[in-house]
Amino acid sequence: MSPIRAFLGTPAGRFIGTYALVLSASFLVLALRPVNDRVVNPYTTVVAHEARLVLNLFGEGATVSGQVLSSPRFSVAIYNGCNGLEAILIFVSGVVAFPSPWRRKVVGIALGFLAIQVFNVVRVVSLFYVGVFRPQWFSVSHVFVWQSLVIIFGVVLWLVWVRRYAVAGARF
Amino acid sequence: MRSRAPAFELRAFLRRLPLALAGAVIVWAVARPVYTPILCATTQFLARLFEVPPASAVVLQGGDALLGRTDLRADSGWLKFPLTQIHFNLVPFLALVLALPRPLAAGRWRRLAVSLAVLAAAHVLSLLWQLKFLEAFSMGPWSRANYSDVARNVYGTLRYFFDIPVTFALPLLLWVGSYPDQVFALLGLEAPAKR
Repeated sequence: MSPIRAFLGTPAGRFIGTYALVLSASFLVLALRPVNDRVVNPYTTVVAHEARLVLNLFGEGATVSGQVLSSPRFSVAIYNGCNGLEAILIFVSGVVAFPSPWRRKVVGIALGFLAIQVFNVVRVVSLFYVGVFRPQWFSVSHVFVWQSLVIIFGVVLWLVWVRRYAVAGARF
Repeated sequence: MRSRAPAFELRAFLRRLPLALAGAVIVWAVARPVYTPILCATTQFLARLFEVPPASAVVLQGGDALLGRTDLRADSGWLKFPLTQIHFNLVPFLALVLALPRPLAAGRWRRLAVSLAVLAAAHVLSLLWQLKFLEAFSMGPWSRANYSDVARNVYGTLRYFFDIPVTFALPLLLWVGSYPDQVFALLGLEAPAKR
């Protein structure tokens, strides 16, 4: 038996195989133009409006046009990859691939979705203010700091879900 | 199936994570000046491997890569691509590894080396697909003359997958795959090898 096949026979290997499959399938679906037009873009607009609501609490007078969030002081365009969907799919794929009862998966997905939404709005708002006050730091904050934090947040959320809610009913 | 390991293992992991993240950033900052020239040179080598004439170019410029072709006009079709977008995922991966208990104990170095090699290979491929995407889509008549519709779709798909899903999911996959015993212990499960 090849080492890869042997590894895929272990619980960790089965998790990784299922995870990679679910993640690939979900990103493939997101890449389809009708899904992009009818789901991803409207979802990104919702994220922009959530960030606008928060910014306007601070008196920014922000507006949204499509996926562009603007105020008199700064504008950010929210693209695919910045809308939180990648973190949601990383988390959801981990939840789906973990062998726990479906009811716990559904609860995990719903709560995780909300947590990532909040996290992503914090990301967009913080990047907006980085753009206002330290525009020279925007690129490094956007690509390096927040994308690293997004990955870690998704993993930590999954660890907490498994440990607190899913491990009791897990079947390998 | 469940271990009796209390949840404090996970809490200890989460407490170590900020420090591990700081350590990972330091490693990344130190390694980057050495790593990026190798990344660009390897990608250019791969791009030219089956190319006649070998003209694809990946030129390091600060923290960016200039992607283009040397056999076209100097002012046409060059793309400045931020390399951080490709190799930033080294930071979350290293942070997750360093936050594990005794991450560099005997025997775990090899796993770390293999994982880093996989990550580096993904970085090279990611940059390569950016270059091929540029050549297939953004060089006007030259692109249409040299890349079929099928090739354009293939390179578009590869670029998309390496740009987002692979970049974002690989740290978790490598972490679980390289340290299954430690990760399963964090989850409150017995080590996979014991089952």
